[in-house]
Amino acid sequence: MSLSHQDIAAIGLSMKIAISATLLALPFGFATAWLMVFRNFRGKVLLEVLVNLPLTLPPVVIGYLLLLFFGRNGWGGAALKAAGIEFIFNWKAAVVASATVGFPLLVRSIRLGMESIDRQLLQASRSLGATWHDALATVILPLSFRGLVAGSSLMFARSLGEFGATIIVAGNIPGLTQTIPLAIYDYASSPAGTSMALSLCAVSITLSVGILLLHEVIGKKLEDRDSA
Amino acid sequence: MITSRHALQRLVVALFALMMMAAPAMAGQLNISAAASLKEAINEIADKYAAQHAGITFVKNYGASGALAGQIENGAPSDIFISASTEWVDYLMDKKLLDASSRKDFAYNELVFAGSTPKKVGGMKDLVKLDKIAIGSPKSVPAGQYATEAMQKSGIDRQLALKLVMAKDVRECLAYAEMGEVDGAFVYRTDALQAKKAKILFVVPGNLHARVTYPMALTMSGATNTDAKAFFAWIQGGEAKSVLKKYGFVLK
Repeated sequence: MSLSHQDIAAIGLSMKIAISATLLALPFGFATAWLMVFRNFRGKVLLEVLVNLPLTLPPVVIGYLLLLFFGRNGWGGAALKAAGIEFIFNWKAAVVASATVGFPLLVRSIRLGMESIDRQLLQASRSLGATWHDALATVILPLSFRGLVAGSSLMFARSLGEFGATIIVAGNIPGLTQTIPLAIYDYASSPAGTSMALSLCAVSITLSVGILLLHEVIGKKLEDRDSA
Repeated sequence: MITSRHALQRLVVALFALMMMAAPAMAGQLNISAAASLKEAINEIADKYAAQHAGITFVKNYGASGALAGQIENGAPSDIFISASTEWVDYLMDKKLLDASSRKDFAYNELVFAGSTPKKVGGMKDLVKLDKIAIGSPKSVPAGQYATEAMQKSGIDRQLALKLVMAKDVRECLAYAEMGEVDGAFVYRTDALQAKKAKILFVVPGNLHARVTYPMALTMSGATNTDAKAFFAWIQGGEAKSVLKKYGFVLK
């Protein structure tokens, strides 16, 4: 097991990107889940399909579309350029790619949490004079906390593994956008890189197992607390 | 009911027959593993050869020379290996996976810096002014290895460290430059000649890196294949050379 300083940079970068992607997606994920559970509107099915699309779409499609949109010749790219923001082939692009790909997992978990909320509690809060945003902050948010944590941990784990979309929009720049999967890909393409690739594979497996364990433990803990 | 069962049986038999047909290696089939930069040239050479030799079909596998060496090491079917650097032929020779007596230099090339940046770039020293530069991943792409060598010899490798976008082969490198998402890319002169938007901004001085050489050899299985040996001899001849010349490869 040997990790070069470039590998360690890749691990740090993976963490940074996964955390940023999760934090970025959280408010949107919460709002989307809330819309889907508590609101009825036209085109709800459409929203549902759209939100779940990244689950089944090849990540490379997402990456390519992001590249076309935010690239030099895309609308988004022009707007970002006007604002002086460097995006494509930058770690920020990796964050957006990871956030898009992991988003359905986040929404699913939050939704499950929200669906388990007793509607009578909500009605009670409203009849006691709570406005919808009061009810949101004091009833829905605390009661869907478990879903939020579960969703965030899943999404974090998925972001750590993001490859297809990332390599297209963020490129493979050691020290800047080269995350663990990209570094493994780089090593794997060379027959001389097998042992280095395996070291990073071990890191990747350790991280994934760790997060999934944590996900289970937190889920159990919160479940016990809720039923107590 | 009976008819549908019959239909099913027939389908199974048909599928089985199909699989039996596909199973044995086809006679007259040549597997070529070649550096990505040779794509158009080898395609044309193979087409010419196939037109003159009935019954010969080609399975062409292009990619980073290091990746191809890895595939051959892991048992990928290959009769002829053409690398863009001596390193990967040496690597497979050491593993006794190539027929050492067949080794020949197929062609030579030049390393250039190509792009469509409006910034003035006339030599290695100007690269530090750029934001993003694409190179082939030096771990497996010879063009990236030559480029890394040149950057080190020019003493600018540290300043460029965070600007280098790693591409999986030299053609992806060129694609980055064509899209305009990088200021420029280290590619071979023959690649840059295929580009539509990216222009050659400068030729990397030959004294900054080892000469770009394409060594080739028969694999151990290729050395026992008479079709492969015949083709291997043919591509050292005049017709193949004229194709290489047409695409801008250096022959001496």
